[in-house]
Amino acid sequence: MTAQTQRADPARLLVLVADDEPPIRLLCQVNLAVAGMDVLQAADGGEAIELARSSAPDLILLDLMMPRVDGWTVAEELGADERTRDIPIVFLTARATTEDRRRAEKLGALGYILKPFDPVRLAPLVTQVVERCARGEADALRKERSPQLWPADLEG
Amino acid sequence: MQPPGPGEAKEQETRGRSFSSLLRSSTALGWAAAFLAPAAISSLDALSSRPSYQLAGFLYLLAVSLAAYLGGFAAGLVAAVLSTLGLDFFFTPPRYDFIPANGDQGAGVALFFVVAILISQLFERRRQVQRQAEAASARANRLQAVTARLAEAVTPQQVLDAIVTEGVEAAEARAGAIGLLTADGETIEIVAQRGYERNIFVGWETFPLAGDTPMATAIREDTPFFFSSSAERNAAFPPMAGLGGPSHALAILPLVVEGRAIGGIAFTFPTEIEFDAERRALKATLAQQAAQTIERVRLYEAERALRQRMTFLADASELLGSSLDYEATLAQLARLAVPEMATWCSVDMVGQDGSIQRLAVAHEDPDRVAWAESLGAEYPPDPDQPMGVPNVIRTMTAEFVPEITDELLVEAAQGDERLLEIVRELGLRSAITVPLIARGRALGALSLIRDDTAPRYTELDLDLASELARRAASAVDNAILYREAERRGDASRALAHVDDGVVLLDEEGAVVSVNPAAARILSVDSAAVVGETALGSIGGWSEIEENARPSRGQTRGPVTLPLILSDGTERWVSVSGVDFGDGVVYAFRDETEERLLERTRSDFVATASHELRTPLSAVLGAVKTLQRNDVALNSDDREMLMSMIESEAERLSGIVGQILLTGQLEAGRLPLEHEHFDPVELTKSVVDSAELHLPSGIELRVQAAADVPAVSGDPNQLRQVLANLVDNAIKYSPQGGDVELRLNRNGQFARIEVADRGLGIPLDEQERIFEKFYRLDPALTRGVNGTGLGLYISKELVERMNGRISVDSEPGRGSTFVVEVPLAV
Repeated sequence: MTAQTQRADPARLLVLVADDEPPIRLLCQVNLAVAGMDVLQAADGGEAIELARSSAPDLILLDLMMPRVDGWTVAEELGADERTRDIPIVFLTARATTEDRRRAEKLGALGYILKPFDPVRLAPLVTQVVERCARGEADALRKERSPQLWPADLEG
Repeated sequence: MQPPGPGEAKEQETRGRSFSSLLRSSTALGWAAAFLAPAAISSLDALSSRPSYQLAGFLYLLAVSLAAYLGGFAAGLVAAVLSTLGLDFFFTPPRYDFIPANGDQGAGVALFFVVAILISQLFERRRQVQRQAEAASARANRLQAVTARLAEAVTPQQVLDAIVTEGVEAAEARAGAIGLLTADGETIEIVAQRGYERNIFVGWETFPLAGDTPMATAIREDTPFFFSSSAERNAAFPPMAGLGGPSHALAILPLVVEGRAIGGIAFTFPTEIEFDAERRALKATLAQQAAQTIERVRLYEAERALRQRMTFLADASELLGSSLDYEATLAQLARLAVPEMATWCSVDMVGQDGSIQRLAVAHEDPDRVAWAESLGAEYPPDPDQPMGVPNVIRTMTAEFVPEITDELLVEAAQGDERLLEIVRELGLRSAITVPLIARGRALGALSLIRDDTAPRYTELDLDLASELARRAASAVDNAILYREAERRGDASRALAHVDDGVVLLDEEGAVVSVNPAAARILSVDSAAVVGETALGSIGGWSEIEENARPSRGQTRGPVTLPLILSDGTERWVSVSGVDFGDGVVYAFRDETEERLLERTRSDFVATASHELRTPLSAVLGAVKTLQRNDVALNSDDREMLMSMIESEAERLSGIVGQILLTGQLEAGRLPLEHEHFDPVELTKSVVDSAELHLPSGIELRVQAAADVPAVSGDPNQLRQVLANLVDNAIKYSPQGGDVELRLNRNGQFARIEVADRGLGIPLDEQERIFEKFYRLDPALTRGVNGTGLGLYISKELVERMNGRISVDSEPGRGSTFVVEVPLAV
């Protein structure tokens, strides 16, 4: 994991990737980096909360199933904190049930990307979400429910 | 009285006939002699040596005597006249004239007449005596004939026929009738008649003994009536006036046996006659003979009927005891009853639903049986019918109809003209229907019917039918009880072997029976709960009561319920209930295992899909990234992605391998090697491999005792087991810590311990972790991946090597897995 606590370049987007699986973090890291973004990595929920508070990333890609502190707890904690409540969260998970997605919606998530995902499309999605949120269109974006951010429920 | 034998009677008859014919022929001869004899004597004149006057006169005298003797007075007189003329014309000179000659001649002629008168008178008296004797003999002969025929008669009908046919003739009567007192002693019934005009007895078939009629009075007062004319009769019995055509004589006598009147006999004569003492005596004799014969035949008939009944009852009893197939037995019984006991015999049974079903119909003629069966199908019995079989079954009382009247038929047909015509055609005479009653319940009814070719039923027949019905009902009841017992026996034997639990409750909810499967499923002792209420004695029954108890006559379920049983265990049970009126049957199936398996299986699907999805998405994502041509990846990134693909592909293959291995283990198709190898060396190589991917904060250490000998087993599989245990130890030590592998000898086993200081395993889960698909509580092991197959596979493999595996753990302090493998020998 990269213990980066300060933005190296304020012009570049800073994305936090929280996933206990190193291969997933690697895929995000490589693909976001080539798009000119900086990537912070957290291997579990506790680390993710810490990094979000200390680094104020522009967006968090959040896995749900992580040891000790899971993704739900991370989203709840950050949503309850003044400093972090406006950081857009996009879930990146293998859990595909309708129930999980409703829960993500209620927590104010801006996207719910299902694994396996296409890492090549990750950077444009991150850019889109960050820009729309910066323009204050977070709610509109949620209502749009674009298929890239809310892919169809594969398991019904 | 002993009547003469038939042969003797015939002999007397023959003698009587020759006497009367002789009598008739002598008269003719007399007349022939009266004409021919004088003529023949006269013709002697033509002879050359012609007789003298004296000789001729003598010959003429003989001729007159012969004619008078044979032909009587008239013939004698004719012969005397002819002889006088012949003697005068031919033999008295002057010949050939009728001039009287002298006094001699006159004396001769006078002699002729005197002889004719004397002789004819003499023999006429004899002839009269003979004629009287002849008439008396003829009457005696008729009586003999009556007696002879009576002796041959064996049925009442033959007796009556003999008396009336021969008796009427013997009594010089034109017609006759016999009336007998019926069983009740109050009524006279005309049982036979002969010679009367048609229909004279219509309305008079029976009449009361107390009535004011000649026969009733004769019987009542034991007095014969002899009326010389209709007028005389009408004077004595005014209501009879106008009956019976022109005035005629009438004799009515009581039939008395041993001082007891059994009936009366009536003779009607063609004309008015006087009843002299002889006539009266003859009638009395006839009446006496008739009475005795009727009584004799009655006794004989009664005895024969009794014998027949006894035989029938014996045969029937034997038949009833012969088989438990009561349907067939009752059908045979019906056949046994015809034709002696009944023209028609039928058996009807009450079905399970209370309907009345005809079991059998019997008649001598099979065609009639078939006809009756089709008629029975066309007119099924109405249970509410006011008479007949339904009534007998309903009221459990016998129905006895000695005389089936037309009114009864009309009533029975209930307005159905066609049916009425059919039953009239049958000529039914008398009927008995008796219920088959056992243990206070009507099982059916037995019907006996006679048509007009058979005698009416009597009280004796009713007694017989009742006795027969009693025996038949008892036999049927026994057969039914036996069948039920057999069925129950079969049922309980069958229930003992079914896997489904069956519990039978009575109407009050008390347990009647619990089969072994139910006792096992519900964790109860069947002996302890039988007789108790299910609610009070079987744990979880309130749940069953609430969800599976059927309403009366209904079926409910099956429903699957979680039951907390008496011993505290929880079990998923599928229950259905059937109410059969006298209680409820519940059927149970234990679905606990199915439920658990179902749950672990669906958990596995979710887990496995997640486990497969993660490496798959990593590989897929890495490949897509490497294929990007819009941007240039640096060489470090490429390198990392390539090695990530390799490790994730290996992980995938490991998961797939585990699933396949599980399949092979389950199918018993996994071949294991049996080699001798060094466990220490194997353990070290497992550790070396694990070191390659070791996360930070974890250290692997091996501690081997010096004297661990070679073991026997499959080294590759043992390597897999140890690798899995090491992998688990690392995975469940998220906070890091040492993982220690210790080897030593434990008796005939090499003991390999894999100890970590990780999360640990709660005690109640330590047993289950070796089960297939089992995974630790996700709340504690959040984020720890796995298929739930690793430990199951490990246990299976070790046990197949004749080794054993166990765990010792304390939550929060770590776990120690112990594998023991047999030493090589």
